[in-house]
Amino acid sequence: MSIFEYNGSALVAMVGKNCFAIASDRRLGVQLQTIATDFQRISKIHDRLFLGLSGLATDAQTLYQRLLFRHKLYQLREERDMKPETFANLVSALLYEKRFGPYFCQPVIAGLGDEDKPFICTMDSIGAKELAKDFVVAGTASESLYGACESMFKEDMEPEELFETVSQALLSSVDRDCLSGWGGHVYVVTPTEVKERILKGRMD
Amino acid sequence: MKLDTSGLESAAPVWGAPSELVGGFSAAPSFELPNTTDFDVFQKEAVKMVKPAKGTTTLAFIFKEGVMVAADSRASMGGYISSQSVKKIIEINPYMLGTMAGGAADCQFWHRNLGIKCRLHELANKRRISVTGASKLLANILYSYRGMGLSVGTMIAGWDETGPGLYYVDSEGGRLKGMRFSVGSGSPYAYGVLDNGYRYDMSIEEAAELARRAIYHATFRDGASGGVASVYYVGPNGWKKLSGDDVGELHYKYYPVIPSTVEQEMVEVAGA
Repeated sequence: MSIFEYNGSALVAMVGKNCFAIASDRRLGVQLQTIATDFQRISKIHDRLFLGLSGLATDAQTLYQRLLFRHKLYQLREERDMKPETFANLVSALLYEKRFGPYFCQPVIAGLGDEDKPFICTMDSIGAKELAKDFVVAGTASESLYGACESMFKEDMEPEELFETVSQALLSSVDRDCLSGWGGHVYVVTPTEVKERILKGRMD
Repeated sequence: MKLDTSGLESAAPVWGAPSELVGGFSAAPSFELPNTTDFDVFQKEAVKMVKPAKGTTTLAFIFKEGVMVAADSRASMGGYISSQSVKKIIEINPYMLGTMAGGAADCQFWHRNLGIKCRLHELANKRRISVTGASKLLANILYSYRGMGLSVGTMIAGWDETGPGLYYVDSEGGRLKGMRFSVGSGSPYAYGVLDNGYRYDMSIEEAAELARRAIYHATFRDGASGGVASVYYVGPNGWKKLSGDDVGELHYKYYPVIPSTVEQEMVEVAGA
């Protein structure tokens, strides 16, 4: 199995009406063996910006710590939070710095930009940005996730409906992947609140 | 006196006429081999293509009342789950079961072949074949195909005149008699639960619950096992399927979710 499939992961981010949802699975494994069923793959950068990192777990943790550090410096200098588009550029630059010895991660960035417009994007492991208007996916279950999201996605969903859609897409995709699943973790972010929910999934 | 070796012949056409020099035994039954310049490289490629992963969990054990056999039902191709509803316990005849681990096609074909041979033995000898005999038939066939890329890790469980019987047979040609076996990528996890909870004096319900729990724990930890935990019992009157429980539901039955107090309700967002 490739290095990207060593730990196993599933990530999806979807855009709704003035809101977004970002969801991940909860498994941490070492190839086929499951080590933990409560692994955090999505981290908050600030109240309106979330980062999910799929792929090798050690690189995901290190990359998150470096990005949080850069964002804190930015906050001190600029006295404000980073816009999602700016943050995406920062991630892309940081990943390309390691072009010939990359971090084995695929980030998924989701945030609310100016005028509460939702912003999502994903990248490959060397920083090629992929902006999307509807949804982005990453991880070992990505092919199943593409199929599920493509068929379940609708424009301008309200937060509750968006939560249902993202959860169903995530759970049905990880049920077809040996290396991800064991529960789900969903964040639904609107301009006024952040709702964090844990999903009950198949634990096999 | 010429020994009756018709039971050793397979339905496949024999490659080469039987030679007088080998004392009347016909040549080992075999399939036609392909015409290649380098057969060794072809063999290696074939093994790589089949990918004998043995991603599964099966177990069987003998106890006071008979033999308990259990398996999961997931088929995986690398990381992709191709099916969650594969029958891994194969019914060879009404009093013998075989488990499937390794290549599905190999296990299904050779178990059915074994069933045919067992029936032929019954007709020729007017009595049922023993578990010892059946497992030996299968082991000999698999040994003759050793190195050709077959992937079979099976347990033959049955009840014959001597009582309950359990043998482990694999495609490397190994054959072991024993009281407890588990085969597949999830077997270490199943062994942990099985070895801890095993007693010879168990009732059928206790043994079934032990087998079910062992399979459930293997599906939890092993990525290549999952789906449905099937449990079969083999007794003096033959085999009987006891249960087929979805392991997703078994998890919440063994570890129910206890509603906990909410830590944070609302998060104040700047600039709302």
